[in-house]
Amino acid sequence: MRIIIILFILLVAFQSKAQERDHFSLFTDRDVYTSGETILFKFFAPEEEHSGIVKVELINTGGKIISAVNKKISDHQADGFLYIPDSLTTGSYLLSTSSETTQTVTFREVLICNRFTGLAETTSLLRIKGPLNDSVNTADIQLAGIGEKLKPRENVQLTMNLSPEKLSQIKDNLILEVVNITPGYESRTFTRHTPKTVNRKNDSNGIAVQGIANDLDTGAPFKNGCIFLSIPDSVPALQYYITGEDGHFNFEIENFYGKIPVVVQGSDMGKKRLLRITISRDSLAIGLPEFENSSVSSDLQKTTGNQIEATTLSKIFNYQELNIKTPAGKKLDYPFYGVPTEIVRPALFIDLPDFTEISRELLSGVKFRAYNRIPTLQILNPSTLNFYNDQPLVLLDGVPVQDLNIIKNMGSKDISRIEICRKERFYGDLSFTGVIAIYSTKQNFQHLAESSDLVKLNLDALQPDASLVIQGNRPENEPDLRKVLLWQPNLKPSNTVQLDFKTSDIKGNYRLIVRGKTMDGSAIFKVQNFEVY
Amino acid sequence: MIYKKLYTILLFAMVSTATLFAQEVGQNNPNTAKIRGTRFIPYPNYTGKPYLNDKFVLGEIQLNDGMIIGNIGINYSSYRDELIYYNSAISAQIQIDKISLKGFSFTDKFGKKRVFHRQYGSASLHDECYFEVLGEGATSLLVYRKVNLESCDTYQSKSGLAYQPAYLYYLYSAQKGYLPVNLTRGSLLSKFSKPNQKVVKKLLRKNGIMLADESGFVKAWNLIEEKGIEVDFKN
Repeated sequence: MRIIIILFILLVAFQSKAQERDHFSLFTDRDVYTSGETILFKFFAPEEEHSGIVKVELINTGGKIISAVNKKISDHQADGFLYIPDSLTTGSYLLSTSSETTQTVTFREVLICNRFTGLAETTSLLRIKGPLNDSVNTADIQLAGIGEKLKPRENVQLTMNLSPEKLSQIKDNLILEVVNITPGYESRTFTRHTPKTVNRKNDSNGIAVQGIANDLDTGAPFKNGCIFLSIPDSVPALQYYITGEDGHFNFEIENFYGKIPVVVQGSDMGKKRLLRITISRDSLAIGLPEFENSSVSSDLQKTTGNQIEATTLSKIFNYQELNIKTPAGKKLDYPFYGVPTEIVRPALFIDLPDFTEISRELLSGVKFRAYNRIPTLQILNPSTLNFYNDQPLVLLDGVPVQDLNIIKNMGSKDISRIEICRKERFYGDLSFTGVIAIYSTKQNFQHLAESSDLVKLNLDALQPDASLVIQGNRPENEPDLRKVLLWQPNLKPSNTVQLDFKTSDIKGNYRLIVRGKTMDGSAIFKVQNFEVY
Repeated sequence: MIYKKLYTILLFAMVSTATLFAQEVGQNNPNTAKIRGTRFIPYPNYTGKPYLNDKFVLGEIQLNDGMIIGNIGINYSSYRDELIYYNSAISAQIQIDKISLKGFSFTDKFGKKRVFHRQYGSASLHDECYFEVLGEGATSLLVYRKVNLESCDTYQSKSGLAYQPAYLYYLYSAQKGYLPVNLTRGSLLSKFSKPNQKVVKKLLRKNGIMLADESGFVKAWNLIEEKGIEVDFKN
């Protein structure tokens, strides 16, 4: 009996330790923000995390996603930023990190004050229920060169010394930040296990677009449906997926940055029946932490009031905060449908009212007929000199068009160019009896209306890396209203680290924090407070 | 009791098999989905071989983005300098877009790995070609396995046309470009400066290498590369 009890205790201890290590460690530059500002964040991914992409979302206490970014992980860590919309109402918000392969979501609470209403009329806030995180200063990290009281615009030469023993224990990079703090509000973090199913391969490096294809008539999941995911661009990209029994599809979009338009549509393999497309959207509502009401102190109201004034004033001077390193992104050498054999620009010819006229006058070997409201399109096979029996692949701004009525009324003014591939083309397991790619003058695929069988998304692809621009040397006649004096999310640990920063014109309490992780997964934390008076 | 155990094992095996099959349904091979090309139309049947291999062989291709797609049936068309891929899922022979490939490789019937790179040809080859790499180093030995359709005597072919090999060999350096070479001792020696020619001659003599065919030439070239004897690209 004694052995069973000991084993049980050991099992519980092991499980709780494992739980500690299998979640993300998420940090933000500050705890309190004003709407219109930018949240800087950094996270360490658990060892068990094998997916290459982590989603960071800003959500309200009701679970509604305000904004989201996808970050590519490198060495189990990444840092990024999130813009806070100017119109956001005052209250507690949550920053969350999640991935397709980890079932534990980490939340970090932040207070966002609306720039126009502030906290003046707010008496209580919804806060994550639970105790504050106990962070104990890590020994063997020495900070020198920073006093307890500093003057505005004072230059500081900071030195951080790490003992050789501590240095050997540190895993990955350190975060070092010097920020203006708001007494009376300290963020809490929370982890929650979500019951979502993990159905992606572990080494995925793309943004997932998942969903289900159903029969439009019966509503049943459609087997062997061909789902297209198009990314309209100057050189468009296309992916396809053949659905299984359950009608599910799963795409991965790699190497695209920023917001990208995506169109998802599907049909049966014979292209005779359209399918209803439903995109799976993650809902965090089921995994939100518990909240409790917390009163707002007058000190907090006053401090946030000052901070809001500083934010509003700094907006006038419009200093660039972030230096975004725009990546090269994915460069396609040529369109997925092949190098066109012919390119026709209707604007170079007489103005033609519709596509029937354009095909007759400008597109040799292309037969477009619009009799009885059922348009047909055929292309001449250059090998046999007969028209292919099947309709070619018709693309509008890179998006496959199932219904030719969409292009029927497009005239010379609507079309910038038409690319034609006359040979029978193959793309993976798909074959097309020729391709006609129409590019509209506006290139916004507005002619394709969103419906149950065609879903348009404005997808958050990968966020490019960015660094904080420290504008330390401002002219004397301009206010220096920086709240973040130093943000080094990827500080390489060494025996001695020297960093310079300059205090801003904002008086108040500041904090220097060093964070990191050790080889055994425990946290590194060192804090030093000072005041600018 | 033994039967009971056997039944349990059998049941477990059946459940595992069913699970494996269930996992296969709906999964796509994301790699082959990136292969782009046009339908391959077979060439007229004349004497000679327009293809490098008599039938499709298993090989791998490398796309421009670095992705390697392996275990696919390929055959190199020496006549058109194109790579043909057999898509078993749709039973189609596809001529892969040359522009989309970095190269390809396969193991021939003798068990030898054959590697082809796509690169710009020399001045005489005005387009991009697939070159087989016979020897790789600071200076590589490449061959453009060209086959031409040429007229011939009717005793050779009733139609009077035959596919004739016209292989072109090059010494290639990424910095210095191409240097055409023939499979002869004289041609090889002419690619070196006078002092180096003596070294090469000695090397060939010592190792007893006869430059009678391609394999002998490749052996000689590998030895020369090993010794680091520099080619004079001005020759």
